[in-house]
Amino acid sequence: MNLSRFTRAGSAVAVGVLALSLAACGSDPEPADTASGGDGAESTETGDATASLSGELSGGGASSQEAAMNAWRAGFQQANPDATVNYDPVGSGGGRTGFGDGSYKFAGSDAALDDEELAAAEAQCGPDGVIEFPGYVSPVAVAFNLEGVDSLNMQPETIANIFLGEITTWDDEAIAADNPDAELPGTAITVVHRSDESGTTENFEEYLYTVAPDIWTTEPSGVWPIDGQESAQGTSGVVGAAQAGDGTITYADASQVADLGTVAVGVGDEFVPYSAEAAAEVVAQSPRTEGTSEYVYSIDLERDIPGTYPIVLVSYSLACTSYDDAETAELVKGFLTYLASEEGQQAASDAAGSAPLSDTIRQAIMPGIESISAS
Amino acid sequence: MSVATGTTNTADATERTRALLTAADPGRRRTDLVMRSLIWFAFALAMVPLVWLLWTVTVEGVGRMSIDFLSLSMRNIFGGDPTGGIYHAIMGTLVITGIAALISVPVGVLTAIYLVEYGRGWLAKAVTFFVDVMTGIPSIVAGLFAFSLFALFLGPSAQMGFMGAIALSVLMIPVVVRSCEEMLKLVPNELREASYALGVPKWLTIVKVVLRTSIAGLTTGVLLAVARVIGETAPLLVTVGVTDSINMNPFDGRMMTLPVFSYRQYHQGYAPCPSGESASCVADIAFQNAWGSALVLIAIVLVLNIVGRLVNRWFSPKLR
Repeated sequence: MNLSRFTRAGSAVAVGVLALSLAACGSDPEPADTASGGDGAESTETGDATASLSGELSGGGASSQEAAMNAWRAGFQQANPDATVNYDPVGSGGGRTGFGDGSYKFAGSDAALDDEELAAAEAQCGPDGVIEFPGYVSPVAVAFNLEGVDSLNMQPETIANIFLGEITTWDDEAIAADNPDAELPGTAITVVHRSDESGTTENFEEYLYTVAPDIWTTEPSGVWPIDGQESAQGTSGVVGAAQAGDGTITYADASQVADLGTVAVGVGDEFVPYSAEAAAEVVAQSPRTEGTSEYVYSIDLERDIPGTYPIVLVSYSLACTSYDDAETAELVKGFLTYLASEEGQQAASDAAGSAPLSDTIRQAIMPGIESISAS
Repeated sequence: MSVATGTTNTADATERTRALLTAADPGRRRTDLVMRSLIWFAFALAMVPLVWLLWTVTVEGVGRMSIDFLSLSMRNIFGGDPTGGIYHAIMGTLVITGIAALISVPVGVLTAIYLVEYGRGWLAKAVTFFVDVMTGIPSIVAGLFAFSLFALFLGPSAQMGFMGAIALSVLMIPVVVRSCEEMLKLVPNELREASYALGVPKWLTIVKVVLRTSIAGLTTGVLLAVARVIGETAPLLVTVGVTDSINMNPFDGRMMTLPVFSYRQYHQGYAPCPSGESASCVADIAFQNAWGSALVLIAIVLVLNIVGRLVNRWFSPKLR
């Protein structure tokens, strides 16, 4: 009995010691490159606003921004070691709702706020208090898996017909006419689309609806309108399905298409392969939506500007000009300043293959970010 | 003559009985064989997914195991960066599940004691009924319950470890009650009667006799309940959220947990490596992280079970 009492006391102590040592041994990683002047370079670049902020900031929204957001969060947190930024990739709709009811202090959305959502957001932020700008611009690639072919030229009408199921084989005349040098096999075309509701789908449909209105007649929505085709969930899902089959074609965020072949899209008389630069151009040259309040910078994409890549996903960042407490206001301001900065845009481009913002747009949106303050 | 006949008759009868007893009816033997192989087949079939699962998780996850993986968080780690680890998720899982157990075990065990020792009439029936109903609650409902409960007081942006612990204890309490109730029922009534006969009051009988006798079963029940909730993803996603940094305070800010981490990493998919794969950019690092954290989760459940066994051995009364 005495012995067993000893054992019990001993085991209790052992468990306690184990728990304490476990709790003490972990830490946040410290990447080697930040120690040597990385901090200094960042704070001079982005100004005093980002110098040593602290606190926790949570946002959420479009999952398309996730890879870029990870890079932004890391860059911001390295410059401000006491600050933590979280982002829930719950989808654009969830982000807009969360932003409207105040549970997200900032949000990412694949579509600009419509009037109703803007009203909800203004109820949260105050009149004319919403900041909206295209923080993340990413080319959407039309990708295919065809033995021996890496790149194809296609007119918008051809793309629309392929995804409608009107063109069924790879050696169809419409494809062959634009690719005189390619050796096209007679393989059947398998279209792979997203099974979930997605901003990428909506964007791609919008492109087809704009450039080939006679062929693609369904109104764009986040849901793929055609039944009976192959589908998969998420960007990684459609890419995986396309890789698994022969003669497959799909649309996906360009950074994720891996080793699939891609389509150079016909714009006017030429064919433009996707690239971050060509995608940045289409955003830079499209006009700003008129009639919005001062800090809402949304753009009307024009899909037919020569030399630009027309299928781009423009994802917006949302924030308020005023917040209840000063800490949140400073964090949002600092984070968005970094996000929109040249350095932040480059970080996103490296991590997610996105197109960096042009200087013109940056100059247009910075006053809004600068105006963020505590109410 | 008659004697001789008698002996042969006796010998005959013995032989016949022996033959009857040893040489079974071929029909029965056949049935036995069929049933036996059927049961073994069913057993093997049930083992296939279990062994397969353990094997897959081990093979896929073991490559990621390292001191760094277990002792670093994912703060500032993105893309194909293969450094970083799951320390924040391990601690989150332990803290949240620990608080959930702290809440559920007293409530659950005391409810079970009430049902077995005191409960009579409609109240006991009602409690049993609702415990049964609660056992079948989908986990996301528990998460939404905790979320809306806290949103009433703290607004919709509230996310913290304690909320997750509340959600998990909603799932855990019925499991604890059910299993502990069965264990307490197994305690023979003679033990209680002997205790009463010695003049021991009822509460002391319960503490010293009933609980001590069933301690092994109670620990198993509690551990089953812990194992039931430690792998929950959906309620924690709603209530605790997602973060990359270490947060040990369950009452302030988001925490990461192993199942949520696994889910998030898997969801992230392949990382783009513009300059090709190298030591600093691994395209499928997110998948490796997901497998690694799944393996750690299984290991934690295993360790908890071993600890439970040891507790059984140390605390249960020495009968022999």
